[in-house]
Amino acid sequence: MKVTILSYNSVAAWKWDTSTEPHKLCDYATNGDTDDYDDDDDECGICRLAYESCCPACKIPGDDCPLIWGECKHVFHMHCLLKWIDTESSKQQCPLDRRPWGKVDDWCFDCLR
Amino acid sequence: MVLSISSRRLMKELKEIETKGTPPGIQLLKADDMETWIFLISVLGDETVYKGETFALKLKFEPGYPIDYPQVTFLSDDQYQPPLHPHVYSNGHICASILGSEWSPVLTALSICITIQSMLASCKKKERPPGNDRYVRSAPLNPKLTRWAYEDDTV
Repeated sequence: MKVTILSYNSVAAWKWDTSTEPHKLCDYATNGDTDDYDDDDDECGICRLAYESCCPACKIPGDDCPLIWGECKHVFHMHCLLKWIDTESSKQQCPLDRRPWGKVDDWCFDCLR
Repeated sequence: MVLSISSRRLMKELKEIETKGTPPGIQLLKADDMETWIFLISVLGDETVYKGETFALKLKFEPGYPIDYPQVTFLSDDQYQPPLHPHVYSNGHICASILGSEWSPVLTALSICITIQSMLASCKKKERPPGNDRYVRSAPLNPKLTRWAYEDDTV
């Protein structure tokens, strides 16, 4: 039987990669394997909204409302974390482990190269 | 209607309490709005100086929650009295570091209740803080306006 495709609608889904260990990130990149991921931790600890939704101050999820990683590997919506870090009472500490907040930009990309 | 950041967060917390329940000894008494919640707190077991007692903890959330911590006090009225505890003043004000310098925006209404409950559970002697009468005479209504000094982490 010969089938001719006249038209199709493509559907895509996206998800922030919040894995905390580089080797897992590589697994994910090569195999697309998400089984090992801890789905309980898929929301921002500050606003309690999903990473994939935007922070409460934004309207459109995605690149305009990105995530931010600390050196301690904890992840938050960037806007939520900055609101906290901008306060005096934060003492510039991670909300989860109270270690000094340091931003990590590069390690995850290094691993994928 | 656009919900404030604090309301959205509190609605999530409320939903979680409704689906997952509260830990033993903690009960949500009133959450009619996204501003003031009241929890009932008791310490379970025989090893506590508060055996058989129940206290009402009032949490008042401000628009900056959870970046800002809520006002947390024990109710002091005809029905409920604040616990006799070295960190709890007779007007219901509580000296606890998480309700001040150690606040973190990942804490929730329920985690505040759990901390307060364990503060009561570790108490061995029922007494008011030193200087209670002096503090209560001049204390502001809002405990957040008091500058607390945290001296003792053991009780």
